[in-house]
Amino acid sequence: MAHFLEIDHVTKTFAVNGAAGIHVIDDVSMQVAEGEVVVFLGPSGCGKSTLMRMVGGLETPTSGRIMLEGREVKGPDRQKGMVFQSYSSFPWLKVIDNVRFGLKFRSDLSAKEKDRIARHYLQMVGLSEFEDYWVNRISGGMRQRVAIARTFAAGPDILLMDEPFGALDAQNREFLQLQLRGLCLKERKTVIFVTHDVEEAAFLADRIFVFSARPAKILEEIAICDLLPQSRDLQLRESDTFFRLRNRILGLTRTQALRSEQLEVKGP
Amino acid sequence: MEGGWRSLITFRGAERRGTMMMLGILSFIIVLVLWWGAAALKLLPPQYLPSPGAVVVRFYDLLVKYGFIGDIGISIFRVWTAFLISAAMAIPFGIMMSSFPIVNGMSQSLIDFIRYLPVPALVPLTIIWLGIGEASKIALLWLGTFFQLVLLVADDARRVPREYIEIGLTTGAKPRHILGSIVLPAMLPSMVDNLRITLGWCWTYLIIAEIVAADSGIGYVIMSARRYVKTDEVMAGILAIGIIGLATDQAIRWLHRRWFIYLT
Repeated sequence: MAHFLEIDHVTKTFAVNGAAGIHVIDDVSMQVAEGEVVVFLGPSGCGKSTLMRMVGGLETPTSGRIMLEGREVKGPDRQKGMVFQSYSSFPWLKVIDNVRFGLKFRSDLSAKEKDRIARHYLQMVGLSEFEDYWVNRISGGMRQRVAIARTFAAGPDILLMDEPFGALDAQNREFLQLQLRGLCLKERKTVIFVTHDVEEAAFLADRIFVFSARPAKILEEIAICDLLPQSRDLQLRESDTFFRLRNRILGLTRTQALRSEQLEVKGP
Repeated sequence: MEGGWRSLITFRGAERRGTMMMLGILSFIIVLVLWWGAAALKLLPPQYLPSPGAVVVRFYDLLVKYGFIGDIGISIFRVWTAFLISAAMAIPFGIMMSSFPIVNGMSQSLIDFIRYLPVPALVPLTIIWLGIGEASKIALLWLGTFFQLVLLVADDARRVPREYIEIGLTTGAKPRHILGSIVLPAMLPSMVDNLRITLGWCWTYLIIAEIVAADSGIGYVIMSARRYVKTDEVMAGILAIGIIGLATDQAIRWLHRRWFIYLT
């Protein structure tokens, strides 16, 4: 049987001034099952976001290919929803209209149906009472929830999240991780979540792919679903199991983070 | 008043709108008092520096006795016609420059070349081509603003965050949807600012056009008053432009605050 998502020997090299330049991703292959929450964990600038963007059709692999539901990914579309860290919602639209935007270009639904779906997901992220607020006037965490609601409302086959909680404070982040994990289980949505935060990765993931510094290679694959229960709460974060898991992953990432930092330096 | 006056002399201190408006009015009063004082003390003969009172009286006379209102009207008409034509062309063109490399590549250098030509240098050409009627004046204003505005609009469109575009792409929006539903609303606040600034340039070029060749308009009134050294009339003309400029600018700023209430 074909896999839901298959990344097949993908490499990526960004051209610099026309010449072959930065080698970002080095021969990565993986398979993802439907309904799985997969986290790409790696140091900043390692290329994990680029890999995720290729799944979304926003970048093209230099070689190799990406198959989603048996079809090769050729470009962005409604099947592959995105949540970004910043500029994740439109300031000129109110909260509810931002969520509705996810359905705006669907001709197969009536306006009434779109409205119903939008309100449903707004409620799922707990923002119903803020539907008439401008997004600039709600908190950063709420803005990310608006973006999540919009993306769920659009009904994508796969959800791609690029460090969506990276700019939030620690308490807010924990809360949103909890909410997102619950939402993913409930909706049985396939998710790729990119982060460099080890605890975030361990808490959210069914499976973690730990990436090396640039060019990104898969260092290790950790089946979190074998180590932690399906549904997770804040107590789990305090448990010894979680603590040991976190330390083990931290050990893996530490050296990569140092290497990655040196790679960021472009010159004097 | 808590921190009221202190904040005014604090480095990067807080600005409150009411206080800022008072300071604006105060600055006008100071200039008026200085002007009035200089005139009253006869620091310069009245032919050179008429008193504010004389200018206001003259302004009133011009309006009610000499049909100055018609000149103001025709000047405003010229400015707005040219401005609207410029904007109507520059906005789609600028957005296309930001959207398609071929449009950008074909136009960037050409626009830069034309943009650096001083507008007064083009007056003879517009007169040869279009005569001294309305068309040549509007063409001159258009030449002076279109090429500037197009680049400003293109930059506004380019500054729309990549994420916004990609939200569109991943919700099934076609390029035309993205332009209409994302790029345009996202760039609108900064574009309105640029339009406001460009409208100000229109007045500069208008006076050039009217001083060189015209038989109506504020610039024409100023120029004919100069011939007879009617300094009060010259200053009344300048005053008219200043008042129109200030009023328009304030009106657009007010609209900006109302339209883009979500930014605050």
